[in-house]
Amino acid sequence: MDELHGLRTHETLKQAFRAEAGTVLRYLYFARIADIEGFPDRAQLFRDLAESGVCNAHGHLDFLKRIGDPDTDLPIGETDQNLIAAISSTTLEHTELYPLLAQTASSEGLLDIANWFETMAKTKKAHEEKLKKSLALLDLALQNEKALASEPAGAGRS
Amino acid sequence: MTGSTLKQSAKQRPDSQYDAASITILSGLEAVRQNPGMYIGSTDQAGLHQLVYELVDNAIDESHAGFCSQIKVVIEADGSCSVEDDGRGIPVDIHPIEGCPACEVVLTRLHAGGKFKQHSYQYTAGIHGVGLSCLNALSDSLLLEIWRDGAYYRQAYACGRVMEPLVKVGEANKRGTCITFHPDARIFDENLSFSYEILARRLRELSFLHPGVRICFDDRRSGESEEFQYDTGIPGFIQHLNRAATVLHPQPIAIHIHQPGLDVEIAMQWTAGYGENILSYVNSINTVYGGTHVSGLKMALIRAVNRYATETGLLQVEKGTPSAAHSTGEKISAFDILEGLTCVLSVQMAAPSFEGQTKTRVTNRELKIIIDEAVNNELLRVLRADSRLAAQVVTRALDATRARLAARRASERIRIQRVDTGVSKEIYQKQFGIRSKNWHQSAVWIANDELLAEHVKHLGHDHYPKMLDVCCGSGVVGASFKGKVGTMFGLDITPEMIQLSRTRLDHVSQGTVYDLPFHDNAFDLVVNREVLHLLPNPERPVSEIFRVLKPGGQFIVGQILPFGPEDAAWMYRVFKKKQPLIFNMFQEEDFRELLLGAGFVDLKMSEYNLWESIDVWIDTHETTTLHRHEIRELFYHAPQEVREVHPFEILPSGEIRDLWRWCVFSVRKPV
Repeated sequence: MDELHGLRTHETLKQAFRAEAGTVLRYLYFARIADIEGFPDRAQLFRDLAESGVCNAHGHLDFLKRIGDPDTDLPIGETDQNLIAAISSTTLEHTELYPLLAQTASSEGLLDIANWFETMAKTKKAHEEKLKKSLALLDLALQNEKALASEPAGAGRS
Repeated sequence: MTGSTLKQSAKQRPDSQYDAASITILSGLEAVRQNPGMYIGSTDQAGLHQLVYELVDNAIDESHAGFCSQIKVVIEADGSCSVEDDGRGIPVDIHPIEGCPACEVVLTRLHAGGKFKQHSYQYTAGIHGVGLSCLNALSDSLLLEIWRDGAYYRQAYACGRVMEPLVKVGEANKRGTCITFHPDARIFDENLSFSYEILARRLRELSFLHPGVRICFDDRRSGESEEFQYDTGIPGFIQHLNRAATVLHPQPIAIHIHQPGLDVEIAMQWTAGYGENILSYVNSINTVYGGTHVSGLKMALIRAVNRYATETGLLQVEKGTPSAAHSTGEKISAFDILEGLTCVLSVQMAAPSFEGQTKTRVTNRELKIIIDEAVNNELLRVLRADSRLAAQVVTRALDATRARLAARRASERIRIQRVDTGVSKEIYQKQFGIRSKNWHQSAVWIANDELLAEHVKHLGHDHYPKMLDVCCGSGVVGASFKGKVGTMFGLDITPEMIQLSRTRLDHVSQGTVYDLPFHDNAFDLVVNREVLHLLPNPERPVSEIFRVLKPGGQFIVGQILPFGPEDAAWMYRVFKKKQPLIFNMFQEEDFRELLLGAGFVDLKMSEYNLWESIDVWIDTHETTTLHRHEIRELFYHAPQEVREVHPFEILPSGEIRDLWRWCVFSVRKPV
């Protein structure tokens, strides 16, 4: 078991990852506006900082992956594991998170926002399907490799 | 070069000229033919027209150098094009290194030309010698004519190869160069042809940018012709662009910056419109994606207008702030200053640096600083000197700022109100009332005949049904059923729209679709288009429509839908930025559920895809300047996932055309 397991630092790393990821996306949004306003230098600054933010967030993930995915706590690292973690969080998003958010918005009379969340749920469902398809292909490839490896030595080779 | 290409090239070339030296030339131009996009951007319509621009740009450069005053552009009946100037004529003497006439070097060698040496041309638009040889390589026939030093020379080429040596045909009493070329159909799609409109627009633009030159344009296919010569220069260009607009001040503000190696001319004029129209050029190249020159201009505008507003006390200063200089109070934003601005910015400079192959963004950093400084100073001087003009410009921007803030506050209030009432009548009335003025010009889809016909196709009644066009707008949908239906009723919420639709429909009443002012079972047919996405709780209007239909009655409804879940969120953002009144981005299954959920049966759907100009569509009062920019950005940076399912195109001018997926549904109330 990893030394991080069960420690407060594990939680703080998750928080740091979310904060940094949020920073990156906010800065990229700000950069577009700076461009539109005619401040390319400021836009570039935001983009440069966002680029560093990506590096930082990935640094947090370097530690986090020793325990698992910060979103789903599933093991991550190799692509098949990553695909499973991605599918898991996407499923959760379109079955629970976004429908709940839509409901909340709707109960507060914000029907356009409710529709935005419903749209998101559908998008996420489409993403889940894409990821699942990719995982199935990966599985198939792995099985083939296994089958090849388990063939008795010399068989099928000249 | 591969062996086979070499063999093929050899075969196509007259034996007498086939020698070692020729191989290099062919390999260069063969590369152009194999990968034309690298040299002219693309082989679509834009690339085809680029060929003409290359020639015209060369003539313009010659005029800038002071040697040419007239350019003739002719599109021949056979689809070829000729460009003639009265400049010095391309040199014909033997090139010291290449050993053939200089003009042949220019037409057959990449990176050859008179523009590499600074003293021949001070500022140049041409693609530094790639131009003429590329044009030659991509033409299945090209005729070069030169009048120079009292003689007339001629030479023919095909696909970049020399067909005959340069011949002195006779004497001449004029000078100049004429190149006639026919684009190679193996490179360019044979369905492509030169567009009169596109060429005329560019030639007009060039003649405004270069007031000394006369450009004659003649299209022998249609007999159309025009002459462009404007002595009014860039301010005249502004007046031309604003010819249909209501302008805030009669004379455009003109600013000149002259420094060694740099000439900048700017003219600007504000209109009562909403769009921002900044056209920028560097050495006559239209820098569609702007760059440092445009950034400098925008910064200067913000600084100058805010500075003037501050020093004349127009801005509200927050209480307790000792002076406006470090005020935390009001500030006019860039968007409000740019709203309604038409501006032409033309830079002539010695060493422009561009980003990308197509030269549509300029990157010289010094430009920004110089233009910012000079425009800021000059604009401040103009504003201070003409208080009437200043009041118009500054007050307008300030009004826009205040209106935007007020609108935001109002929309917050409306949101709270809507929780109870479902919909705010006033908002819809105001929104569509203002838009009614140029309703049919505000988007392609509104009056598109084929799209309207798509609705009529669904009509299942043959006994002249009593029809209601609900939320009828100008009444075009209902009117498209004319002759096939009985009495045509209409309903709208906006008095202006009711006025418009009364010219097309028999009876139009005012009312809301949430509570239709009609009896149960009153109609055989209800038609509606592109409305339900604007309404919160769309179930209610649909059930109202169900109520007023007779059993067996038909509801025909058209709606723009995303191509799939992949582009729905992106489209939601685009539509919401264009029109804050959006409440639903229906996907196909949602819309089916909406109709079937109300009790309708017998659902049929047909699809009609329509190209819509986004620039036209977003040029309305309901789309803020920031949103207009953001919508363009959404297209420029559309995710790959969106691009795979949703066709749209960005033209070289930056204009965006989007393919809209219109779905027309027909349902019936059960008998």
